[in-house]
Amino acid sequence: MLMLTTIHGLMTDDALHERLHGLSHNDAVETIRLERQDMQRHRLRVETDKGTICAIALPRDVSLEDGAILEIDENRAIVVRAIEERWLELVPRDAEAALELGYHAGNLHWRVQFRDGRLAVALEGPEQAYLDRLTMFFDDGRAQRADG
Amino acid sequence: MNNKPASAARVGIGGPVGSGKTALVEQVIPRFARRGTRLAVITNDLVTKEDAERLKRSGLIDPERVVAVEAGACPHTVIREDPTLNLDAAELLELKFAPLDLVLLESGGDNLASTFSLELVDYWMFVIDVAGGGDIPRKRGPGVLQSDLLIINKSDLAPHVGVDLDLMIAEAEAVRGGKPVIVTNCHTGEGVDAIIDHVARDVLFDS
Ligand SMILES: Nc1nc2c(ncn2[C@@H]2O[C@H](COP(=O)(O)OP(=O)(O)OP(=O)(O)O)[C@@H](O)[C@H]2O)c(=O)[nH]1
Ligand SMILES: [Mg+2]
Repeated sequence: MLMLTTIHGLMTDDALHERLHGLSHNDAVETIRLERQDMQRHRLRVETDKGTICAIALPRDVSLEDGAILEIDENRAIVVRAIEERWLELVPRDAEAALELGYHAGNLHWRVQFRDGRLAVALEGPEQAYLDRLTMFFDDGRAQRADG
Repeated sequence: MNNKPASAARVGIGGPVGSGKTALVEQVIPRFARRGTRLAVITNDLVTKEDAERLKRSGLIDPERVVAVEAGACPHTVIREDPTLNLDAAELLELKFAPLDLVLLESGGDNLASTFSLELVDYWMFVIDVAGGGDIPRKRGPGVLQSDLLIINKSDLAPHVGVDLDLMIAEAEAVRGGKPVIVTNCHTGEGVDAIIDHVARDVLFDS
C-alpha cells in the first residue's frame, strides 16, 4: 500500500505539466478516478487504474481536486481525476408544483441546481433510488423528467 | 510505508434514536485499545451530555478523552450543514492528546435521513436495529444508502420482534450496491471485530 499525504500540484501547472508528459511516454502515469462526494474526503483507500493500492491521507486544510498530483518522481506519477457528475433534470408543471418539488428535494437533503425553471438533482447513488422518491410527482403530472 | 498521516482519522457513527450507537462505542473502545489505536470520542446530544457522561463513567477510556457537543437543534445540523462545533472539538482533542490515531464521533439520535458531511469525517457508519423493523433497508433512507458501513444491531431481538434477519440483510445489501453490511449484538460484542477490521483497512491504514 502506497501512502499519499501531499498534493504536489495540479496537472495544469506549467512546471509539472512537462514532467507528466515525459512520464506518460513511458506509460508511468497512474490515474485515480473519484466521484464528487469522495473528493471531499481527506482520507480514503483507493486503487489506481494500474492496480496500485493507495492510502490517501491529506492534512485537514488540504483538499482533493480534479487534476491533483499525489505522487511524482522519475519513475511514476499518480493523478486524481473527477468522474463527471450525473444529474436528473425535473420540470415542474407550475409554480405550486415547483414549490412542492423544492420542499420535497430539501426534505430528502438532495443537492440541487436551479436551471431555467428546472430543478436539477445531483445523483449520488443509483438513479432509480431517486425516481422511486418522485413517483407521486410523476403520477399526477406535477413534475416530469426533462428528457422524458 | 514511506510516510505517516498528518492527523487522526475521523469516523462518524450515526443512526436513529436508540439503535445502539453508544453501546457500539462501548464495544469498540477496548478493541481499539487492544490493537494500540490511540483514541478519543466526541458525542453529540440535543441538549444534554448524557452519552458523554455515560462513556466517561464507563471506565473504558480516560474521561478526558471524551467530549460532548450539544447540538441544541436538529442533531443532523452539527454533523452536516454546519459541522464547525465538531471540527473544533476534534481539533482540540488532537492537540491535547497528540498523537491520536482516531477520533470517533457519535451523532445524536436522529432519523433515517441523517448523513455525515465528508468535510467532517473520513468515513461513517450508520447503525440501525432489528427492533426498528425489518423493512428499514427497503425504505432506502439516505443513511442506509450513503453510509460507508451499515450496521444492523440487536440481532438477538430478531425472534422476539418477528423479523426475518436474513431477509433484512439481503435487502440491505441489495439497496447498498455492494457496500458492506455488518450484523451486531452490542450486548455480547458479536460482529464488532468485523467493524474494527473495516475501519483499520479503510481509514487507519495500519492493518
Ligand atoms: N437487545 C439488545 N439491546 C441493545 C443492543 N444494543 C443496544 N441495546 C440497548 O438499546 C438501548 C439503546 O442503546 P444506546 O446505545 O443508548 O443507543 P443510542 O443509539 O446511543 O441512543 P441515542 O444516543 O439516544 O440515540 C439500550 O437500552 C441498550 O442496552 C443489542 O445489540 N441488543
Ligand atoms: Mg447514544
